[in-house]
Amino acid sequence: MANVGQTEARPARPAADRVVLPRWLRAAGQTHGAVIALLLLVLFNAIFTTNYLAWSTLRVNLDQVATIVIVGIGMTLVIATGGIDLSVGALMAIAGSLAPLIFDSDWGPLDRPWVGIPLAIVLPILLTGFLGLFNGFLVTYFRIQPIIATLVLYLGGRGIAKALSDGILLDFNNPSFEYLGKGRPLGIPVQVILMAILLLIAAWMMRSTVFGRYILATGGNEPAARLAGVPVSRVKLAVYAISGLLAGLAGLIWAARISAADPYRAGEFMELDAIAAAAVGGTALTGGRATIIGTLLGAVIIQQVRFTLISHNVSDGTTRIVIAAAIILAVLIQRQREQ
Amino acid sequence: MSERRWSRRNVLKLGATSAGVFVAGRYYVGRVHAKQLPPLEKKDKYTIGFAQVGSNNPWRIAETNSMKEQFETKLGWTLIMTDANEDTAKQLADIDTILAQRPDIMIFPPRESQALAPKVLEIYEAGIPVILIDRDVDHSIARPKEHYITFIGSDFVDQGRRAAEWLAKTMNGEANIIQLEGTTGSDPAIDRKQGFEDYLAGTFKGTPTAEGGFPGMKIIASQSGDFQREKGRQVMESLLPAHPEVNAVYAHNDEMAIGAIEALEAAGRKPGEDVILVSIDGENAAIQAIVDGKLGASVESSPFFGPIAYETMMKYIEEGIDAIPEWVVVEDRFFDASNAEEFLDKQF
Repeated sequence: MANVGQTEARPARPAADRVVLPRWLRAAGQTHGAVIALLLLVLFNAIFTTNYLAWSTLRVNLDQVATIVIVGIGMTLVIATGGIDLSVGALMAIAGSLAPLIFDSDWGPLDRPWVGIPLAIVLPILLTGFLGLFNGFLVTYFRIQPIIATLVLYLGGRGIAKALSDGILLDFNNPSFEYLGKGRPLGIPVQVILMAILLLIAAWMMRSTVFGRYILATGGNEPAARLAGVPVSRVKLAVYAISGLLAGLAGLIWAARISAADPYRAGEFMELDAIAAAAVGGTALTGGRATIIGTLLGAVIIQQVRFTLISHNVSDGTTRIVIAAAIILAVLIQRQREQ
Repeated sequence: MSERRWSRRNVLKLGATSAGVFVAGRYYVGRVHAKQLPPLEKKDKYTIGFAQVGSNNPWRIAETNSMKEQFETKLGWTLIMTDANEDTAKQLADIDTILAQRPDIMIFPPRESQALAPKVLEIYEAGIPVILIDRDVDHSIARPKEHYITFIGSDFVDQGRRAAEWLAKTMNGEANIIQLEGTTGSDPAIDRKQGFEDYLAGTFKGTPTAEGGFPGMKIIASQSGDFQREKGRQVMESLLPAHPEVNAVYAHNDEMAIGAIEALEAAGRKPGEDVILVSIDGENAAIQAIVDGKLGASVESSPFFGPIAYETMMKYIEEGIDAIPEWVVVEDRFFDASNAEEFLDKQF
């Protein structure tokens, strides 16, 4: 991983028991592991994949990675506080299932597109933000471990989504709403623009705001942070709410892209993709160290491995194994850096 | 009593012995003792146990509705229905719940062929006849006409063959095909791939076809889209830059074909004109796509099991097990530009 956007609030621990990689790999990994991995992937594709260096290919790749990055930003913040959010996939399904109920509603005020569409975007995101707050509430006030607290909505969330859409895959036809997933101002997909804006805000927040410092302090050493006057509980509530908001946005993009509300498959395994992106990017799963740009790199690397294997027609089973191996290698390289 | 009586070794021995006796007992009941299939007496109204697998896609919902319409609405019988939410363990528990209410017959799709097979034996031993629909169980554990009446379902291999036949004819034997496979390892994905590829190679279920092979029909890439619209779209997007020569797509289900149409359009290709698509299922969205000229054809994989399950059950009551084949093959229709209009919004 490169040091871009990297912020640290925890002293490096001695690591005599670590697996030790060859020195050259360690040296490279210590500074620019993720960037080197990505460059190698790009180089490989540039040579061996037809039409790889075309604008349309770049657009396809950015398009596919956008939702993972958007959810990954929220996940990175949660992980930075020492938590984890398993509910993001289910929250995506909830947002995607609620939106068509609003813009397809016949109820007077909602029947007008200039009311229905904005509300169909704002209300689902607010709802998932609120559900994220609920996650945070379980974590802070009931002191439930994050993995269990967010498991509640991981399991129950799809039930809510199913109840919203009567348990069926609901097709819709609404070009204004679908713009969120299919629109391309200046040739750039809308979700890629949203991803870029959110990345900038989050990276700036982590680097330059008190809130960013609070997040790292909370994850680095919670008792010390509390003694130092960091509002630990409020910080945690905020990151889970942010994660919920972003998951809601990603869910709307997903629904808009397939022109359907799919309570079962929308956002399936998204929590794993987002966690993997953060881990590969160099965010410590123990909390206290986070890098937004790292999460972007992590997501892009995983997506590029997938793209490379699919475009070379490697079988599905092999693809999964290679992605798993890539994650292990990336995390192993990251760990060397902590020494 | 000595303290060694409950030593670990003795407990293990006891466990192994009882397991052995249990397995032997099962073997005896299942294989040696030629017990009859549970009979179904003639009466006016029956109670039917229907342990549905899930309701997460239009196909499953259409299947459920077809059962409800046939047995509840049309006949006025009782249908005890459960929904396993795509969870095998829940389906096993659901079946127990239904059995406790003593239905006359169980008609259900087993979610997994291995896991549900012992359950079919259990229902058999409880004296309740079973008809399996849409998915079968492992025949090395439970056999049709012996432990359950029969299996009613589509011939997935033939669906693949019919898609290949239409595509070969439409493309005049020359095409660069991308295949979007279903969930890796699932029966429909394996069979639909086999039927399609074998037909293009000139065979069908081991015998040469009259048409012979089609060496000009080349499958240039074959990737899993997990039967999902979004996955189908992403896989197609990823394949398109490297395979610009593609001019035909075979998708194992309609949802992936619709995803592929979106990917093709986003890449500036014209589905239905410079890329011809064929898929399987015959859902409403696919019929619409055929009418719109974007999808070439769709082989039906009928979810309408109600009427055929009823017919099979009545045949068992009136004529006995000898009148019923081991596999009641569902007759699937074929939708293309010639007939899509009349099925618009009539499917699922």
